[in-house]
Amino acid sequence: MEDCVEDCEEIFSQDGVLLKQAPASHITFVNTIGTLYLSESLNSNKKRFIEWKPNDITVDSDIQDQEWAVVNTIQKRTRTLSGNYPADYQNRIKCIKFNFEEIKSFRVANKSRQISFYDGKADCLCIFGFQHGNSDTLLAILKRMLRISVSKRDKHLYIVYDANFPEFQQLDKSFAELNIQRDSRTLWSVFRNLKDHPYEATFEAFAKVTDYVYRSPEQRDIDDVDKENLNRSISEYENTTTHSQGDYEVVAKVPERKDFPRLRPLSVEQWKGHLNSEGKIEDVESVKTLIFRGGVTPCLRSEVWKFLLDYFPWSSTEADRQKLLATKSDEYYNMKLQWKRMTKVQEDNFSDYRERKSLIEKDVNRTDRTLDFYAGDNNANLQTLNDILMTYIMYNFDLGYVQGMSDLLSPILMLLESEVDSFWCFVGFMNKVIRNFDIDQAGMKDQLSNLHTLLAFVNPQLANYLDTHDSGNMFFCFRWLLVWFKRELSQEDVMRFWEVLWTGYPCENFHLLVCVAILETEKQNIIQNNFGFTEILKHINDLNGKLDMAVMLNKAEGIFYQIKESDHLSDNVRLILGMPLLQTQTSYGSHEQSPFEDSTELSNSTQPCCSVDNVRISPDEVAYERSINSSFL
Amino acid sequence: MATNRTGTAQRPNGATQGKICQFKLVLLGESAVGKSSLVLRFVKGQFHEYQESTIGAAFLTQTICLDDTTVKFEIWDTAGQERYHSLAPMYYRGAQAAIVVYDITNQDTFGRAKTWVKELQRQASPTIVIALAGNKQDLANKRMVEYEEAQTYADENGLLFMETSAKTAMNVNDIFLAIAKKLPKNEQTTGQGGSAQGRRLAEGDAGAKTAGNCCK
Repeated sequence: MEDCVEDCEEIFSQDGVLLKQAPASHITFVNTIGTLYLSESLNSNKKRFIEWKPNDITVDSDIQDQEWAVVNTIQKRTRTLSGNYPADYQNRIKCIKFNFEEIKSFRVANKSRQISFYDGKADCLCIFGFQHGNSDTLLAILKRMLRISVSKRDKHLYIVYDANFPEFQQLDKSFAELNIQRDSRTLWSVFRNLKDHPYEATFEAFAKVTDYVYRSPEQRDIDDVDKENLNRSISEYENTTTHSQGDYEVVAKVPERKDFPRLRPLSVEQWKGHLNSEGKIEDVESVKTLIFRGGVTPCLRSEVWKFLLDYFPWSSTEADRQKLLATKSDEYYNMKLQWKRMTKVQEDNFSDYRERKSLIEKDVNRTDRTLDFYAGDNNANLQTLNDILMTYIMYNFDLGYVQGMSDLLSPILMLLESEVDSFWCFVGFMNKVIRNFDIDQAGMKDQLSNLHTLLAFVNPQLANYLDTHDSGNMFFCFRWLLVWFKRELSQEDVMRFWEVLWTGYPCENFHLLVCVAILETEKQNIIQNNFGFTEILKHINDLNGKLDMAVMLNKAEGIFYQIKESDHLSDNVRLILGMPLLQTQTSYGSHEQSPFEDSTELSNSTQPCCSVDNVRISPDEVAYERSINSSFL
Repeated sequence: MATNRTGTAQRPNGATQGKICQFKLVLLGESAVGKSSLVLRFVKGQFHEYQESTIGAAFLTQTICLDDTTVKFEIWDTAGQERYHSLAPMYYRGAQAAIVVYDITNQDTFGRAKTWVKELQRQASPTIVIALAGNKQDLANKRMVEYEEAQTYADENGLLFMETSAKTAMNVNDIFLAIAKKLPKNEQTTGQGGSAQGRRLAEGDAGAKTAGNCCK
C-alpha cells in the first residue's frame, strides 16, 4: 500500500481559493472556497502537483448531497486512511489535483486574483479565484519551477514548455496516490474513463474521495478504524499552524496551550522585602516577575511606576533617588518656563508651536472628562495635564503633540498627581511607545504587520479569514495598539494592564500577543457572522468596556509559551518577540536592536531573506506592505 | 432601530418596499470640529459636550427613508489630526459621499476644510457627493467664518452646504438627507416625490433633538 502512496512535501498553500470553473462532472465544487496546495513528491521522481480541496469540512449541505447523487454512482465504498503516511498527508484528502506536466499554459486575470490553468486542449483545467491577496506568490513559484514564457498576444497568458512525459503516465501516477484499491470497480471504471476523458476522470475520482470523506457520518459506510483515522487527521488539522506566514505555508503542529493564572499583585511586604538597607532593589528580575504575574497593589503604584517608567533607575539607592528628584524637578521647570515665557509675537510667528498648543487645548478639554479627577469646568487637573503636554513639546519638539498622547498621560497624572513626577513618568512611557506616533505611521504599520505575523503563526485560520476579508492590514486594532487599550479598559484595569506590560515580560511586544488573544476569542463571532472590514472594525471598537483584562493577559501568556515551545518557530516570529534567531541574517540586524528597528529593516527589505527546508520564504512584511499599499492608499 | 422605522414606513404599501440603497460616507475635517458629534447626533440622537477624540476610525450606520427608497449610510468617522492624514485615503476610497466639517468659530478649520475638498476632488471617486458642514452654529456669537463666505466657496465648488450644530441638532439630519437626495439611486424614476417625503422628515427633525426619534 505504501508503494502506492507518495510522501509529499507541501511547498505552498493558499487558503481562501474559490474554485470558479471545473470540468462539468465537478460542477458541485464550483463556487466553493478551498485551499490550493502546491506540493512535491518526496519520491525520487520529485513530481509536483497542484491540488485544491474544499476548506470547510463540517458544512455539507443537503443540496450538495443531492447533486452528488448524480455523480456518485457507487454508494457503498470503503477506503482506508490507515497506514504509515505522514499526518500531513492524511490531512490532505484531495479533491482536485493535477500534475505540473499537465499544465500547458495558465492565465492570470482580474488583477491577479484569478488564475486559470489550461491543458493545451480546448478545455480549461480549472479556474481559481483568490479571495485574499492574489496569485502573485503562486505565480512567482510557478515561474521558478516551470519553464514558461509570456504569450506575445496576451501578456497575462503564460505558456509552459517542456512537458516531457506523456500525460497518461502522470495521471496514472497521481491516480495511484488515491489508494482506492479496496474498490477495484471504481478504479477500473475510472481508468476506463481516463483513456477517453483523462482530466474529467481524474477529477471525478478525486471528487469521489472527497465526497466520501465529507459526507455526514451516518451516510458513510465506514469502519471503525477508518473513522478513528479520519477523526485523528481532522483533529490534527485543527491543531496545526503554519510554519511561516505570507503566502508560503508549511503546516506544523503547535504545542498545547497552558493556563497561566494571574497572581496577587505585588504587596507592600514583598516590595519592602526586596529593598536593602540603602533602599536599593536587590533582585530586580524577581520584582518584575511578581509585577508581571499580578501587577502592583494600588497603594504602591506611585512608587513602583517610577521604576517601571525608567524615571528611577532600578539600581538606584534611596539617596540617589532623592538627588534625582531635585535635578529632574529643576529640569522640568526650566523647560516649562521656555514655553510659558513665549511672547504673543513669538507665538504669532511660530505656527508649528501654535498648532500644537491648540491641539493640546482641544484634546485636554476632552480627555477622560467622565472621571471625577478631570470632571467639571475649570478643573485644575486639566491645567496640569495641559502644562505637562506643553512641556513635552519643549522636551521633544520633533515629535510635539500627537493625538493619543493625552490618553497615555491621563492615568499617570491621576495616580501620581505631582506635575514633575508625572512628566518624567510620561516621558518614560513615551519612550516605550514613541514609534506609535511616527509622522508617517510607520511604527503603527510595523506593529500591525507584526501582529498579523503572530496571528498567522498562532491561528492561521483567522489570519486567512482576515486576509480574505480585506482586513489583513489589521487596521481594526489601531486604537488598541496606539494607546495600549486605554480606550477599551476601565481606569483601574488600564493601570493594571500597563504596569504588567511595562515590565517587558515575558517577551518583547507582549501587547501584540494580547491582541492575538482577544482576536482569537472573537474569532467565532467574526467568522460566523461573515464580517467584512467595516463590520470587524465596528465589532472590535464595540469591545470597549467588555474586555476582561485578566483573561486577556492569561491567554496571551499561554500563547507566548505555545509559540516559544513550537519546534517550527520561524525567525520573523522570533524577531518580533525578541527571541534569539536561528540563523544570522544580515538583513535582520543584530539581536540588540529594538524590534521596531528590526522590523523597519524587514519591511524595507524586498528580497526574500530566509530559507527554511529549502523553501524560500518571502518576509511577510513584503506581503503586508502590499496589502498596506492596496488598503491604505 | 433603523430597520424598524423603515419597516413601519414602508410595509403598509408593501409593493414599494423594494429599493434599498447603501452608501459609504466619510467625515473629514480638522481635529475637534465636531465630526464625531455630528455622527453621534445623526445616528444616536446624542450629544456629549466632551466627546473624546477619535483614534483610528469609527464606523456607524444609519438608515433614512426617501420616498420609496431606503438609504443606508455606512459612516466612517475619522481622526482629524494632520498626523493621521496618511490614513485618510483608506476611508474615502470608494466613498460615495463625504461631509467635510469645519468649526465656524475657527478660521483655520475652514482653511483645512478647503484642503480636504481639494484632496477629495483630486483623489476620491469623481462622482463623490461632497457636503460642507459649518459646525458649532450654536456658537454663532463667536463666529469667525461668515456664512456667505462658506456658501460662496461651496457654490464655486459644487458642494452642498449647511451650517450645523451637533449640540442643538440643527441641520444635522438635513445635511444627511440632502446628501441622500443628491446621491444617484439605481433605477431611479423621479426625484420629485422623494423630496416631498424627505422634507416632511426634515421638518419633523427641525423641531428639536430628534435624530434618534426617526428610528424608534
